[in-house]
Amino acid sequence: MNDPLANADETAPLFLRASGITKTYKEHRAVDNVTLEIDQGEVVSIIGPSGAGKSTFLRCINFLEMPTEGTVSIGKESVAVEPGSRPPSRGDLAAIRRSVGMVFQSFNLFPHLTALRNISLAQERVLERSREEADERSYQLLKRVGLEAKSKAYPGQCSGGQQQRIAIARALALDPLVMLFDEPTSALDPEVGAEVLSVMRELADEGMTAIVVTHEMAFARDVSDRMVVMVDGSVVEEGEPHKIMSDPSHERTRKFLSAVVGR
Amino acid sequence: MLGVAGYIALGIGATLLITASAFTVGGILALPLALAQRSRFVLLRIFVRVVVNVVRAVPPLVWLFLVFFGFSELGLRMSPLAAAIATFSVIAMSYFAEIYRAGLSALNRGQEEASAALGMSTIDSYRFIVVPQVFRVVGPMMATYGIGLLKDSALASTIGVVELTFRAGSQAQQTGQGLTVFAIVGLIYLLLSLPLAIVSRHVDSRLRARFSVA
Amino acid sequence: MITNLLSWTQYLPALFSGVGVALALTGIVIVLGFFLGLLLAYGSVSKVRLVKAVALVVVEVGRGAPLLVLLYIVYQGLPQFQLTPTAFASAVIAFTWSAGAYSAEVIRTSIDAVPNGQSEAAIVVGMNRVDSFRFIIAPQAIRVGIPPLMNIAIQFFQFTSLAYAITVPEIMQAAYFQATVTFDYFSVFLAAAFLYASITIPTTMLVSRLERHLAKHL
Repeated sequence: MNDPLANADETAPLFLRASGITKTYKEHRAVDNVTLEIDQGEVVSIIGPSGAGKSTFLRCINFLEMPTEGTVSIGKESVAVEPGSRPPSRGDLAAIRRSVGMVFQSFNLFPHLTALRNISLAQERVLERSREEADERSYQLLKRVGLEAKSKAYPGQCSGGQQQRIAIARALALDPLVMLFDEPTSALDPEVGAEVLSVMRELADEGMTAIVVTHEMAFARDVSDRMVVMVDGSVVEEGEPHKIMSDPSHERTRKFLSAVVGR
Repeated sequence: MLGVAGYIALGIGATLLITASAFTVGGILALPLALAQRSRFVLLRIFVRVVVNVVRAVPPLVWLFLVFFGFSELGLRMSPLAAAIATFSVIAMSYFAEIYRAGLSALNRGQEEASAALGMSTIDSYRFIVVPQVFRVVGPMMATYGIGLLKDSALASTIGVVELTFRAGSQAQQTGQGLTVFAIVGLIYLLLSLPLAIVSRHVDSRLRARFSVA
Repeated sequence: MITNLLSWTQYLPALFSGVGVALALTGIVIVLGFFLGLLLAYGSVSKVRLVKAVALVVVEVGRGAPLLVLLYIVYQGLPQFQLTPTAFASAVIAFTWSAGAYSAEVIRTSIDAVPNGQSEAAIVVGMNRVDSFRFIIAPQAIRVGIPPLMNIAIQFFQFTSLAYAITVPEIMQAAYFQATVTFDYFSVFLAAAFLYASITIPTTMLVSRLERHLAKHL
């Protein structure tokens, strides 16, 4: 691993950089000094056994989980957390969160709002777009994920796959620099998950920058530019997906892959 | 017979006044209590829990006497009506605090996470996401408690508030027809609680039809 | 200062006799109320229209009218028929009515809470309806129903304070008497509040522990 300071001296601005992220619960280090950088248009997938801290790390990037230690920089914004010092202000967190879109495993759509309103609300409140503008953009995004017919439907009236596609549209609506996907298909049946994955694939082709925590090995191999393997809170291997899947260099990666492929 | 019913019915105003005031004041006072129960400060949370539980552990009649007779002994004199409204407001507050808490804990954690991830402020998150969903859960509970409050307001007759039960009592003494008189007043209470019961059921079924709150 | 702050405790002994009456009243009402509740729950699903109607009216009035009004109906109303039950008996009747109505609801929902498949399974293994209810449905329904029934008991312990209004010598009657003698209203009613809370709070905590324990095996 390079010296982070040396890297900061290079002038090329990194799109997103999460460095030295550590999250401890009591004695347990769920995430242990993980650093991840991502360039514009890059799709990085994080794989690894369950309990490896993949989701926790992802949630640290937009501070849904407050890291015990670490720095997150996106564009011009940078927020650092040090043990013992004051936690970052709400304003700082909001700035980071505005630049990052997130898609949850359990969708977390707002059940009391229509699909369209789910997408337009934050545009109005956070980006201060007018209602008309927000609705128009929301409709375009629904179309983008193939669900314009569902604009007036409530989440309870949509299938799981449709809900997750609406959730993707909701996250895209704030024009985030980076999208975070937290196991977006693991709550779905495989055939329904496929429709979500195909939307993600198209978005990636269009240049979306994303970090995807996933168990879908085929998706990770074919769509992502880079693969990161996490085990026990640490990154054990990182590189080109085909290379990692066909020729893993780390013992733990080999074990994990044989377990997944063996299934 | 109609004269008796008419005389009793004049108490509807006072009964509804106590009920509606306590419902409104209690409902508002309970909001900070419910939020305090989610506070980071352990001592504040414990304090609120103690208040809420102690208020509910003592019968309303005891609070009513403590406020009306006890406070006036300490120099705080109140009319019976004021004492009744004050007492029932505090009692309603602690029940509503519990109801709000139940509503908040029924709300999926992911809802607040999703609004945070979208960069929404805490106030916006409460206004657009938390409160509308919580209200759909607690609305029927509040209506049910409102019916309870209406019935509890009968206790105000014991400190001399001239409401339904008080008027029934004086009619029973005058006419000697206790059964008839109190059957009438019982019926009036049932009729008064009907609208709330309907609202409660209506909200409940409309809500279920449209979506399920996770 | 401390003695001043605790001066209200001097009134506790005078209220103890009231605690006995209140607990006795609660005990009787809960037992009778449970059996009335069983009857009403059974009646409310009866195929005989009249039985069903009567059961429903008794339940709705028992839950819908203020308990104080029920007390007056019994205590001041029955004399209209030349019946003059004592204050305590009147309280038992009125409270049993109300407790029966609430218990009926709990009993009904507890039985409903047992999945349909359970009685089907019992029939499939050859049990008759009585055995199926006795060995399969009832034991499961009881697990669901016990905590709410105990909460009703706690509620009715608090409700016994209402019997003050018809001169039953329970806690509030004793307190009111003390207060009019000593003019120390605040301290006396504070002592009464303390007595109620010191019985209600521990029992409530016990019930919620029991509730969690029973929920484990469902």
